[in-house]
This record gives sequence, structure tokens and C-alpha cells, in this order.
Amino acid sequence: MDDRNEHIHDENEPERGEDPAAEDPTTEPERGEDPAAEDPTTEPEPTEAAEPESDLGGDEPADEAATVEQQAEAQEPTAEQPEAARPEDPRGPQSPAGDEAPTEPIAAGAGAGAGGGAAGGGPAAAPPPRRLLRARQGRVLGGVCAGLGRYFNTDPVFFRIGAIVLTLIGGAGVLLYLAALLLIPKEDSVAQTAVDGDSVDGRSRALVIAGVAVLLVIAWPFLLGGGLIIWGLVIPLAVLVAAGVLVWWLVSGEGPSGDAGDIARRAALGLGLLVLCGIVAVGGAWAAAAGGEAIVAALVIAAGGAIVAGAFLKPVRWLILPALALAFSAGAVSAAGIDLDGGVGDRYYNPGSTVDLRDRYELGIGELVVDLTDTDLPAGDTPLELDLGVGSARLIVPDDVCVATSADVGMGYAGVFDADNEGIDVDFDEQRTAPPDRSRLVVDAEIGVGELLIGHATSDFGEFEADFHDGRDRLDNSIDRGMNTGCDSR
Amino acid sequence: MRQPVTSKPDVPSLVAGIAVLVLGLVLLLDATDAVALSFAVLAPVACAAAGAILLARGLTRGR
Repeated sequence: MDDRNEHIHDENEPERGEDPAAEDPTTEPERGEDPAAEDPTTEPEPTEAAEPESDLGGDEPADEAATVEQQAEAQEPTAEQPEAARPEDPRGPQSPAGDEAPTEPIAAGAGAGAGGGAAGGGPAAAPPPRRLLRARQGRVLGGVCAGLGRYFNTDPVFFRIGAIVLTLIGGAGVLLYLAALLLIPKEDSVAQTAVDGDSVDGRSRALVIAGVAVLLVIAWPFLLGGGLIIWGLVIPLAVLVAAGVLVWWLVSGEGPSGDAGDIARRAALGLGLLVLCGIVAVGGAWAAAAGGEAIVAALVIAAGGAIVAGAFLKPVRWLILPALALAFSAGAVSAAGIDLDGGVGDRYYNPGSTVDLRDRYELGIGELVVDLTDTDLPAGDTPLELDLGVGSARLIVPDDVCVATSADVGMGYAGVFDADNEGIDVDFDEQRTAPPDRSRLVVDAEIGVGELLIGHATSDFGEFEADFHDGRDRLDNSIDRGMNTGCDSR
Repeated sequence: MRQPVTSKPDVPSLVAGIAVLVLGLVLLLDATDAVALSFAVLAPVACAAAGAILLARGLTRGR
């Protein structure tokens, strides 16, 4: 028995010498326990001795089951090989199968890929493991949804819709996307790692973990505090970034592609240009409203000439948007008829007699109140002009005074007793007549942006007046806009 | 004999410059009371200017 065993040992020695696993001393006694190993005719093949499942203890059925299971595992990635070997997959031919898969914690099915490689007998037959990566092709932002779509063999639009919905109903979509951006490796970096032979070092992994931890610390108030913060902070920020990217795309032609750094750079440039346009627009509007419309027009013409000259010499496309902002803002001010000559603030006029009554009341920006309840107007027509740039103008008249109104509101609302009109370029005209012994106030109003209200005083007008003088918030119940009672009946 | 270098103008810039010039002229006419500018006038002019710029930019993209 001993001789035979020794003889068997001698026969197998060169073959096991070819298989490194057969030299493992731990497998030696187990094979010795296997009854099949005692029969020289049923000598196990060296490949069986090399299989790790031989550690199960030499039980024959268990060995067979393990072998079948292992073969099934080896077959599974082979069926997915066409997907894993897509042309855009950087792991393709240059990435040895199973080399990196065990080192990547996010890899799905990496163990199967490695096992399949060993059972297949060589790297050429081993399919690359399927990994979740941020895709380069077809991405919109960081390639997270495109990578998920590729990994699950699904249209990435579904993941994008899910991210947007999660963002809108509480903001979790943004946080999950940021976490995925940190955790899921980029396709390019993995391909470069495969080429260079480097692996993700502990420092990078620690940085990622720290980033996710910081993100969670920052995120939990958002998740708990919920939607208001998200709606008030994250959504406007996202809109700003999108606006910046859009503006820069319109100006330079550089779309929302590239990595996060490129997108951030373009968003910053676009937002900077937007801020510049905002400053130019506000300055141009203020200058036009202050009487410098001709100067603003000259500046716009000069900018247009520079852009035309640049088209032949050196294009200055960055100048287009600021020039348009200047032209549009000045044009809007001119179209609305805004005039800042009357100053800025709230004005309250309460003439006690016709001597104190002016022909014209004007205000640039603010609230203008002309209270004629204490004014004894003479019989016949009394002209009155109201000129307001931006704000609210209120005219309070006695009950026995007829009012004939001609109002031009650039953008806003005109309410004269029981008639009103609103919108853009509002032209309100109501020429009422009065009996010969009655007073008729002929109002000519110019409102740029805002509202014009004409009516009688209500019982709460005293409170309104007190609040006005004290600078408190005022209730909008000071004017009774019933009938124009001083006029002839229609 | 040196051949003259013929460089094509940047069409989007050319169209945008002309549009800005037109807007400036409209503003100047309003400032001199030659025309009474209102939103009914400004809105079509502004939309036409912006549309012309976008159209020029879109049609010349990739050339």
C-alpha cells in the first residue's frame, strides 16, 4: 500500500510540477483522503487538484457540485461578453481580465470575472468584468446617469428623470448625484490606470471617503430641513449655473461638455458675463431715466460699430451681450416713459386751497399721493398733471368733483373709479363732463411702470394717512373707487 | 505677385453689430423725439434683433 502510494506519487510528480496549485501542500492530504485518489486508474487529473474547491474536504459529491457551480459562474460572464466588450469600453483589449477587478470595491461581478479567468485557462478567454463607471460618451454632466444606463443596459434618460424628480421633491437627487460623482470612478481614469498599471491608492480612497463624509454632514440638514432650503438655495444656484453655461455657450460656442472643472469654468465665465450685462443694463437704464438717453444711444451705436469692425478684423463676440443689454434696458426705460427728475421716495401732497394746488406733481421712484379732500376747487375745469416714473400714484378727490382722465401707463395698471385697464402701453382715456356749476378736474397722468389709482377717500383714509406719515406699512383700502359722482350721468 | 489675402468676416458678429446699430439708431430717434418709442415698437425690434443674431449664429455653426 505504501509502495503503491509512493509509486503514484512518483508518477504524478512531473505533472503537478506544471501546475502551481498542485504544489500546494494543503491540498495534498485532502487528495489523499479522497477514495478515488487511491485507485491508480481513477487518478484525479491535475486540473482538479488545482481547483480551490478541492479544499472542501474531499467529499466526492461536494466536489462535483462545486465544480458545476464554478462552471456556471465561469459561463455567466461569457454570456455578457458582448456588452462588456463594447467599443467605448476602455477596459477592452488593453485591460487584462481579472487583474484589477478584485482591487475595485465598486466592481460588480468582479469575483465571477476572476474565477472565470482562472477556469478558462488563460487571459484571452476571460471576459472583462462589468464595472460601474462614469461614462464619457453620451454624458450630460458628470456621466453618472450615462454610466448607470450602460451598467444596467437601460436608457440613461430614466436615471436622469429620476434624478430630476428626486431633486424637485426634496433635493435628494442633487446629493445622490454628488455622492455618485465622488464614489464612481471615471472611465478615463480607469483606462489610464489600466495603461499605467497604477491602482487607486489609499490616499485617493481616503479623500473620496472624506468627501462623502463631508457631503453627508452638509447634506443632513438639507434632507431633514427639506425642500425649503433646497428650493431657496440649491435650485437657484443650479439655475444660475445653467444660465452661466447657456450664456457662455451662446457667446463662445463651448457647450456643456468636458469634466466638472470645464463646466464650472464655463459657468463662471457665463455668470461673469451675465453680471457684467446686469451692471451695464442697470447703469444704462438709470442714465436713460435721468435724461441721458441720447448719450446711451450714442454708446449703443459705438458698440455696434465696434462689433461690425471686429467682424472684419478680430471678432469681439463678448461685446454683443453687454451692448444688447444696454440697448434693451435703455429702450425699455424710454418705452415706459420713466423719468427720474422728480426724485426718489414717497410723497404726500394735501393742498388746503387752490393757491397751494400745483399744476403738476411728479416723482421718479416711489409712492405719490395727492389728497384733494381739503381743497375747495372752483367751478369749471382745473388741470392737473401727474408724472411718475416707477411706483404708485394715488389721487383722492372730493365727492362733488368730476374727474376727466387721460392716462398713459407704460407697464402696469390704471384704475379710475369704476373703470380700469392694465398691461403694457396702457392708454386710459375717460373724458367725463360736469354740470356748469360743478368742478371738473382734468387729469393728465404719465406713469412709467406701476399703477394709477383715482377715487374718493374711504373711512379708513385717516389711518392710511397716519401710516403714510409714520412710514408704516399701509393698507390698500384708502380709495373708494365707486362712481365718478361729480360728473353728468352717462 | 503676392495674392491678396481674402478673409471672410465673422457673420454672427457682423449681424449682431448691425442689429445693435439699428437699436442704437432707434434710441437716438426717440431721444430726439423723432419717434415715440413704446413697448409696441420696442418689442418687435428687440425680438427681430435677437432672432437675427441667433439665426446667424446657428446657420454659421461648424463652418
